[in-house]
Amino acid sequence: MNALGSLQERRKSLAHRFAWFEGALSATLATLAFLVASALFFAVLGRAPIPLLLELVEGAFGSAYGISETLVKTTPILFCALATALPARLGLLTVGASGQFYMGAWLGTAMFLYGDPQPTIFLVLTVFVGACLGGAIWSSISGFLKAHLEVNETLATLLLNYVASLLVDWVVYGPWRDPANLGWPATRSFPDSVKLPTLIDGSRLHAGLLVAVGLAVVLHVVLARSRWGLALRILKSNRALGVGAGFSWVANVALVMAIGGAIAGLAGILEATMVHGRLQSGIALNYGITGFLVAWMAGQHMLRVIPLAVAMGALMSASDALQLFAQLPESTSIVLQSLLFISVLVTGGLLARGRS
Amino acid sequence: MEIVGTLLAIFLSGLRGATPLLYVLLGETVTERAGIANLGVEGQMLSGAFAGFAATVVTGNPWIGLMAGALCATLLSCVHAVLCLVVKANMFASGVAVWVLGGGLSAFFGIPFVGRRIDGFVAPDFGSLKDMPLVGPLLRTLTPTVLLALVLWAVLGWFLYRTRGGLRLRAVGESAESAATMGVAVMRVKWMAILGGGALSGLGGAALSVDQVRNWIEWMTAGRGLVAVGLVIVARWNPWLALPAALLFGVVEALTLRMQTWGVPVSSYLLSTFPYMVCLAVLVWGYVRARTRGGMPKDLAQAFARTE
Amino acid sequence: MNRRILTLLAASTLLLASCKKTDEAQAATEDRVGFIYVGPRTDYGYNYAMDQGRLALEKDLGVKTVFFENIPENAEVERVMERMIADGIKIIFPTSYGYLDPALNVAAKHPDVKFFHGGGFKLAPNLGTFFADIDEVEYLSGMAAGAATKTGKMGFIAAHPIPQTLRNINAFTLGAQSVNPKATMNVVWTGSWSDPTKEAEAANTLADQGIDVLTMHVDGPITIAQTAEKRGIMVCGYHADASQFAPKGWVTGASWNWAPLMEKIVKSVKDSTWTSGHLRGKLSDGYVKLASFGPSVPESVKPKIDSVKKSYETGSKLWSGPIVDQAGKTVLAAGDTLTMEKVESMSFLVKGVVGSIK
Repeated sequence: MNALGSLQERRKSLAHRFAWFEGALSATLATLAFLVASALFFAVLGRAPIPLLLELVEGAFGSAYGISETLVKTTPILFCALATALPARLGLLTVGASGQFYMGAWLGTAMFLYGDPQPTIFLVLTVFVGACLGGAIWSSISGFLKAHLEVNETLATLLLNYVASLLVDWVVYGPWRDPANLGWPATRSFPDSVKLPTLIDGSRLHAGLLVAVGLAVVLHVVLARSRWGLALRILKSNRALGVGAGFSWVANVALVMAIGGAIAGLAGILEATMVHGRLQSGIALNYGITGFLVAWMAGQHMLRVIPLAVAMGALMSASDALQLFAQLPESTSIVLQSLLFISVLVTGGLLARGRS
Repeated sequence: MEIVGTLLAIFLSGLRGATPLLYVLLGETVTERAGIANLGVEGQMLSGAFAGFAATVVTGNPWIGLMAGALCATLLSCVHAVLCLVVKANMFASGVAVWVLGGGLSAFFGIPFVGRRIDGFVAPDFGSLKDMPLVGPLLRTLTPTVLLALVLWAVLGWFLYRTRGGLRLRAVGESAESAATMGVAVMRVKWMAILGGGALSGLGGAALSVDQVRNWIEWMTAGRGLVAVGLVIVARWNPWLALPAALLFGVVEALTLRMQTWGVPVSSYLLSTFPYMVCLAVLVWGYVRARTRGGMPKDLAQAFARTE
Repeated sequence: MNRRILTLLAASTLLLASCKKTDEAQAATEDRVGFIYVGPRTDYGYNYAMDQGRLALEKDLGVKTVFFENIPENAEVERVMERMIADGIKIIFPTSYGYLDPALNVAAKHPDVKFFHGGGFKLAPNLGTFFADIDEVEYLSGMAAGAATKTGKMGFIAAHPIPQTLRNINAFTLGAQSVNPKATMNVVWTGSWSDPTKEAEAANTLADQGIDVLTMHVDGPITIAQTAEKRGIMVCGYHADASQFAPKGWVTGASWNWAPLMEKIVKSVKDSTWTSGHLRGKLSDGYVKLASFGPSVPESVKPKIDSVKKSYETGSKLWSGPIVDQAGKTVLAAGDTLTMEKVESMSFLVKGVVGSIK
């Protein structure tokens, strides 16, 4: 155990010396590659790229409202990125954040609709604990299958995403539909008592963003400093070695999947309560997959996901500015997201090749 | 007789649903046999559906549409090939990139084609046969894309197990290292496997838009490409088993629609979860069997087990 | 690395934002009208019909318009509205049903902006709704279908079980039963306003069971019309005249004509005579239309359809009793009529409909 620890330490200090330079280099190169790629895309359309990129930045950051909306989008993306990055620390590649998001919102809403504990603080507690549980349970299905049967977690989480979104559709079009709202397919509105404070008056930006950032920091510190973080690193790089050193593969798979799911579930209930005000169909939008892109671009680094989540939030929230000012369809933002992702993959891959 | 007719109708409905899946499934089988997984088939399928429909609108010829669909998806699969083979990025991350890129680009360039009309394949005149019970429905279902899928199924099954090319492909997937020492051009085989998989997934998308639905709308594949990736494992990387695997999904989907028309008092949303649950169930079953009986290309197994 | 990215991002933002300021002094943009669609405006369906209204506004009134496509029916739409308002737009048409509550939220924050919601049943001082009596046309379509069907079995492919779809299914079925009392209706839900793959397979499944007239309530009628034609059965359209997609099997169809209604609304806002309310376009005024009849509609039913149409013009009500639901329970006694609120929140299927709304 000691030998392992010191090996780890040595690798870390060595890596540390180069990390700063390499990180800066890859970030700069990736940004450049993205700018070139998106400029090419706009040029193919016969549109001048610079004004369009300006439009995008203006839409995302050009006004207080723009910034608040960018951050509103950042919040669920950040949660979903953390939910994807944590299992990835064990080498698990899940794309299930959107399903966990839905099941978190689902169970959290169930707590509100079916339990009505007094005083209010219990309601808040049950709704949020329920949401974490919902996400965790959903994620644990894939975790269980992975830990015990080696079923590929990527495919299992993918399939469960479809099931989860249909389960939300089922309740909002069926048993949970608010009878007082003229048959509109949504549940009753959440009372103000379960809502978090907003950060800027009159905007939709809520304290969930702070929770997400705080969670990122906590995860970063815990993974870097604790014995658990070490266990994950060893199990990831060499499972047999890790198991030999006394770390449980099964328990750790179950743990990272459950925690990841709980984080995504939290995102789900926050969107339902704070942004939509109720459970509705389709509220996960593209957060799950965008979170995956962010986690991957950040190299599963819990702090690096933050600026990248802001960048993706900007691309998502500014897409309607492109529709309004440049008559470009909403799919433009999806194309740009994928170009950014590919740019990061390419520069990261090439740098890694250059190193070896 | 009545019950036979109903069962046949459900089976044929399942066959229609299975056809686009079968193309994608065969393509992904070829790709994974070379040790590369490609989640990007969803995006490739979408690009094939878009290009196929667009080319049919422009030329009026559905065969050109199928070719355009295959070509467009092949080009898109080049992105995956470059990312996996040249840049050496993680194959699952690269697949997601291709998935999102294909979906975004097809949605973007597909806008002018929404609401356009195509005529699709002209059904041959079967004369009095078409009114015969059982025979009529069968003939009606066997459209050119269904037949082509069945032909490709047989050809690929033969190719993989009965030709030198197939042997090389399997060798690369089992162990690229030992294949290289045997004198196989590993990189070339991998490239061909990814591009071949791309072409087939594009055909699957085009079969959907040009023949079955005769309509185009963004994201119209609704996850079918991803389902196909799961079904590859169920079919144990064996092209012969691709047909039953695709049929299983198709028939369950057909059955859920059929159950709605019977007035089954279950939410249609819950019924719609069945195909995915069945897919997951057989996936798990496939893993259990693969563990006891093998079948997964060894290099791929490593990639699946260790995703970093 | 994160600090680097942030600095980079902030710097470029400031740089770019400062370049942008030059063309800020734009001409007065307050004349523009904003439209929000839930799908593509070329879908040949709901969004297409709305967009035809928008184009007519541009052509007839000379107003400039902007539009947004593929905006989901949840709080996403609030940002889109805010974006338009920030750009100086004072009249907004959130055209889809699910935009109502988000529109009310935004309307409360911007009393100087007028909102016109398509199909909802709530109001604010600066938010009115508009719709048209499409269910009356569905009833007439149903009459044509009921007369045209040989097997007496019809099929309805709809997206989600919400009041609007239930209204259309019921109206269509009642119309068919008025000329063909034994006619039945099988319903298949696709779970999406636009999933052509499922629509095609639903049409095939229904055709397999001896159903010979299909109709639909999804965003675009093309897939179902074409599949019906391919299978040699009949089809009634919805939203827009899709007869070119099914020349042989076309029966008729209900379609919208939003242009006059939208022009009326915009004019009344411009000359400040508008007051908030539920504006409902009537069949007699041509706000909804019955498409031309296809070859399979028997001559004998056409005068009957005409006389029912005339009766609506003189105030006869579609939703008048007796109406019996699927289970045989009387939901509306003879002589009674449903209030507008009851119609707009319908939650039952009439007798003769096979399908679950759970």
